Amino acid sequence: MTQRLLDGKNALITGCTRGIGKSMLEEFARNGANVWAHARQLTEEFEARCAALSSQHNVNITPLCFDLINKDDMKSAVKLLQKSENRINVLVNNAGITYNALHQLTAEASLREQMEVNFIAPFLLTQHIVKLMLRHGGGSVVNVASSAALDGNPGRSAYGASKAALLCATRALSREVGLQGVRANVIAPGVTQTDMIGSMTDTVVNETVAGTDLRRIGLPRDIAGVAVYLASDLSGYVTGQVLRVDGGM
Amino acid sequence: MLVPSACKNTLPNTLESTLILNQKNAVITGCLRGIGRETLALFAEQGANVWACAQAADEEFESFCGELAAKHGGWVKPIYFDLTDNDAIKGAMRSIQMDKKPVDCLVNVAGLTRDALVHMTTMDQLRQVFDVNLFAQVLITQYLTKLMVRQKRGCVINVASISGLDGNAGQLSYSASKAALIGVTKTLSRELGELGIRVNAVAPGVIDTEMNAIVPRDILASRVSRTSLGRLGGPREVAGTIAFLASDLSEYMTGQVIRIDGGMN
Repeated sequence: MTQRLLDGKNALITGCTRGIGKSMLEEFARNGANVWAHARQLTEEFEARCAALSSQHNVNITPLCFDLINKDDMKSAVKLLQKSENRINVLVNNAGITYNALHQLTAEASLREQMEVNFIAPFLLTQHIVKLMLRHGGGSVVNVASSAALDGNPGRSAYGASKAALLCATRALSREVGLQGVRANVIAPGVTQTDMIGSMTDTVVNETVAGTDLRRIGLPRDIAGVAVYLASDLSGYVTGQVLRVDGGM
Repeated sequence: MLVPSACKNTLPNTLESTLILNQKNAVITGCLRGIGRETLALFAEQGANVWACAQAADEEFESFCGELAAKHGGWVKPIYFDLTDNDAIKGAMRSIQMDKKPVDCLVNVAGLTRDALVHMTTMDQLRQVFDVNLFAQVLITQYLTKLMVRQKRGCVINVASISGLDGNAGQLSYSASKAALIGVTKTLSRELGELGIRVNAVAPGVIDTEMNAIVPRDILASRVSRTSLGRLGGPREVAGTIAFLASDLSEYMTGQVIRIDGGMN
């Protein structure tokens, strides 16, 4: 078999159960990466999917289950990963949540929860993982933000702000650890066909899609493809960047 | 809700090729040296067939193309024309069309610099740079995107520069031409997206090519020191992002400019 883009790479991807994360898991496996597939809870279905991908693509897909907002759980998961022979090269912070609400109607609890899951959790996980990457001589961090972080869409002030915070932290990180061979970039998906768009009205979705150059909604696979690129050596000289994957908006 | 036609599961299974440009036909300009040459090589490695455009016939180049084709099993066809000669450009485009093969992507790499301070820049230099870096690219793009529209698919990748985004002392004509090329990229994306054609640009930073060989060492060192990665980029690293943009991995990206600059501060 010819060399695959991610042959020999070991990745941790968060939020692999559904949507974009699920597709990332498939694309990373197909391109030859070994993956610690994070999910909040281990289910039989998830375990079976990981096993199937492992054998189909001749890679190791290992479920790694913990609650991202539980710091102790996160630490023990990282310890588990640390013990493995496979040195981690890639971290994809994909897991996220969204509650749409107008700025004036956003409840404090919802604001805090989105900041906690979309910003603080990936921030802390990145601290743990980058520490390992620095010991191993480098790696690539891929953070999934949103076009909402750049555009400030109505109804998405808390979500957009949490993703903008993630974006800024990624940029700063890229400048701090570049010399040690760690790259850090951001993907900013536009409207993507996942459960998350359930929180948007059909009218809003249709209008947004009609406003894209490609006149179609994004698919999880479209985002996964860009993550594969950022994880791979194809992007070896790309760091501190934000890539809009939005069909042209 | 608008559901894309690509919604059906078209993921190949594991035994199919994992080459990201398998069976794609590409036109690449400026293949003789530097970024163009590496792009040609990477495209061939990743399974693409290439019309390899260069300024003038060259024996070494001919055999380079031949070796790539033999090694990777695709075809690599040298095409020669001068970017300042509109008739030659049209003739070359016609010969590509005569091959009656779909053109999946166009990569505009060819370009030149005429570095001079603002007040030392002559109108002749400015015109010379715009002729090659902008007008020729537009002419080639007009011709080939017409074919792509008929095919209802295709993509264009323009090689711009961080100079076109940030400006750069001593590069009035070059930076202006690259900024213009970015404008062209975005407008093409707006017009052609609906017809299934994606248009993106890359903006390389300080890359280890002949173009930078003439830059004084201290200036080069100070520019490199401003990168997060603390090193020059290799032409192959620029080729990597071009290959990504030509591949289906970037299927939902259009109208974008990707900086390949090692993280410039």
